[in-house]
Amino acid sequence: MEKGKECIIVGTLYKHMKLKPCILDEYSKERSVTPLVKPHNFIHSDDYLILEDESGRVHLGGSVLSPSIYVSGVVFALHGKETDAGDFLVLDFLEAGLPPQIEKPLKSREDKYVVLLSGLNIGSSSSNPLLFQLLVDHITGHLGDEKEQEIAAQIVHVVIAGNSVEIPRGLLNGQNLTAKDQSKLSEPIKELDIFLTQIAAGLPVDIMPGPNDPANFCLPQQPLNRFLFPGSSVYNTFRSCPNPHCFELDDIRFLGTSGQNIDDLEKYSEAPDKIDFVERTLKWRHLAPTAPNTLGCYPFTDRDPFLIESCPHVYFVGNQATYDSRLLKGSEGQAVRLICIPKFSETGIAVVLNMRNLECHALSFDTQFM
Amino acid sequence: MAQIETLGILQDIQSLVSDQLQVVSYKWLSRNYLVSSSTAMRLLKEFVEKHENGFEVVYLLSGWLKSNPPIYHRKLVSGSKLPEAKQEFNESCSVQVYSVQACIPKDPAVLWNAEFLQAEELFKQPSTVDNCLRDNRFCGISNSFVKRNVEGTPLDISSSHLKSEVNLGLKSNLAHQSITVPQSLQNKGQQSSSKADLLSPSVAKDVKSESNGSEVHAQASKPPGDKKNTSLPAEEKKVQNGKGSSSTGGSLATFWSRASAKSKPSCPAENSNLIPNPAGASSDAQICAQEVVEGFSSDDDVHDINVKRASNGEGTRKRRVVFDFSDDDEYEDAVNLASPETVEGKSGRALKESINIPVPEKSNSNFDKQVEDKPKTKEEISIGSEQLLKEDSSVLRNDGAMAIFPTEKKNKQLNKEDKQIKAAPDSPKRKKILKTRIDERGREVTEVVCEGQETAPPKKAECDTTKVDNNLVTSAAVNRPPAAKKASAVGNTAPSNATGKTGNKKAGNKDSKQGNLLSFFKRV
Repeated sequence: MEKGKECIIVGTLYKHMKLKPCILDEYSKERSVTPLVKPHNFIHSDDYLILEDESGRVHLGGSVLSPSIYVSGVVFALHGKETDAGDFLVLDFLEAGLPPQIEKPLKSREDKYVVLLSGLNIGSSSSNPLLFQLLVDHITGHLGDEKEQEIAAQIVHVVIAGNSVEIPRGLLNGQNLTAKDQSKLSEPIKELDIFLTQIAAGLPVDIMPGPNDPANFCLPQQPLNRFLFPGSSVYNTFRSCPNPHCFELDDIRFLGTSGQNIDDLEKYSEAPDKIDFVERTLKWRHLAPTAPNTLGCYPFTDRDPFLIESCPHVYFVGNQATYDSRLLKGSEGQAVRLICIPKFSETGIAVVLNMRNLECHALSFDTQFM
Repeated sequence: MAQIETLGILQDIQSLVSDQLQVVSYKWLSRNYLVSSSTAMRLLKEFVEKHENGFEVVYLLSGWLKSNPPIYHRKLVSGSKLPEAKQEFNESCSVQVYSVQACIPKDPAVLWNAEFLQAEELFKQPSTVDNCLRDNRFCGISNSFVKRNVEGTPLDISSSHLKSEVNLGLKSNLAHQSITVPQSLQNKGQQSSSKADLLSPSVAKDVKSESNGSEVHAQASKPPGDKKNTSLPAEEKKVQNGKGSSSTGGSLATFWSRASAKSKPSCPAENSNLIPNPAGASSDAQICAQEVVEGFSSDDDVHDINVKRASNGEGTRKRRVVFDFSDDDEYEDAVNLASPETVEGKSGRALKESINIPVPEKSNSNFDKQVEDKPKTKEEISIGSEQLLKEDSSVLRNDGAMAIFPTEKKNKQLNKEDKQIKAAPDSPKRKKILKTRIDERGREVTEVVCEGQETAPPKKAECDTTKVDNNLVTSAAVNRPPAAKKASAVGNTAPSNATGKTGNKKAGNKDSKQGNLLSFFKRV
């Protein structure tokens, strides 16, 4: 680049963060067991952005791009010029924007509902099995009078987005387990299997792994092994899915994760609402821009599987603190329903989406009858 | 539902709530008495209306909250808080009785316990059995698209969505001839006829598809355990042998159609085309139009559905999943099956000389398994005592040391019975006997003792219990020496049953904490 000349450069953003935990620091400070990094925000006012590509990197200056919004891994096109200090003064920027979307067929149809839930955390002390049982009974049509059963009968699909079990971690410290411990270890999964059997006997269910589930750590997480669910995996309606999960139902494309990507964004950037993060990832056309930088991910070399090439109609993220949803409209007529699915064990809320008009509402349960 | 039956059930509820202090939820009721969920709720409501005092009621409020954005809320409230809870809802909220119990428990999960135990029992049944847990038969919605493949290979879900067709003119049927469920309960889709004769061929097909005669036999021979146990085996028998028995009326709730993939019952030909070819390419989820219709129609789908199920059920699954419940006191007393001689009252858990090795593999909590051992044990037992066959146990040592079994369900066996065993004819050969004791760490240690010897060569005869499949069980069975009922001359009888429940890891004589893999294999 020549000094002073305006040009457009394209590259990947890298955000240099002062507070970002570095594994070497942890190692040098304490040689003992490293403490878990608490998921708080690592933003600092001194963070700065760097644009880089195969040929080099350049420090970005100017006030157009606010470092707190962006994270490493986003691809940008920047218009600006180089300054004397060696920075690149950004005058304007262009992000990828919403990808093109396949038109949803506009057949007028009946209401069909998809239930999305996450964060069951079966096996943890905070989860109340009665709460989940109420949900299962509602979905399968045991609860309610005829009218409600009719409504429940319109549910066509259930998606469980991660963190379905919580294995007691105290047992997993490498020691040999007694039989009692072994059964304690497998209790939550067995309980989950019984619940899933009840659901799978009624309608199709997809289960995705989450950060706490017995699946691999790196994204993309592989589906939970079906032998964990001997009772429910025999049903043709039971499907164990990877994380992130993309599927199509009635020509409506769903895309979703169990929340690791958004939680990681939250650590390294800020936004007024969680759902803004979700919107940003869609606009950046990348599910998990911080992977593999700060988010565990398989080292893909030739292609990036997290690129969002075609805009989904529904984009959901699980294991969030609260329920939120937004209908995002794109410049080319795309319409995406963004959904933050709250943790069911804490809130008792599941999300019900109407496929006909992409509207969704919350379905909440309460068992505190005292 | 017949008046008499209703009264009978109401009386049962009364006794359960007041005498046994059990929580009677609608789910528990529906599974126990094989009625649909709606009927169960109605029964509870009648019960509440009839008997004013003596118990507490938990209601289920459902409706849209007054909040914005609208949230569909379902809330459990106790009777006393009902009016104020109703305030949160819009005008049209429905109130139903969720459960009745003697008093309101502090922990909401207590409401769930009884029905979960039921669910577990149903879940533990052999996978070829279609019980009410596995096919959701008591709910108000049916989905004929759901198939259960017991052969172990998962069916591809994406290929099995049927093209949706709006079902016009569907009739809904009352499935239960014994229950007068309001007609409006019939929801979409095909309904099976309420005629018993239609039911019987379908049930008969189900029966055929359960290929395990031994299981039926096993269940039939379940001893009366606690009430729950009796009702469940009874249920199973009914289901399996159900030829037209009216109590299986509840099972027809499965034929209530539901939101995905239905084909019209009025077009049986179409059905037969669609059903064998479920691989509709599109992954459409389709909803049947709702029809609330009165009347009965014989439904070919019934047969079709059953055809599907029968074909799924045909292979036997060899694996059995056995679940253990450590420290589950509830099962303590219920454990002993079949043996009338069994006397309870051991201070600890008495270990009895085990006759059949496979038995110990299973957790005692699994009644099916215990019962199933019977056929196996017959081969091995040299003792003629019939009762012993049923027991899963290890022998109580003569010297009086009681091997305390850390895991729960243990058959409680008697000393008396042991003596009977010992009185039984000896096997002429020298036998190796497995002996279980508790070592200093509190682990159960199994040793192989040759008759007449004090100590045994270190060997872990047990396997890590329960989660073994049949193959393992049978191999272990072969492993164990034929039951040696020793004469008292021998001095001690080894409980060969070691492993048994809950997969205790038995360390051998050695201190190693790990189980020995070779213990699975035959030892001379």
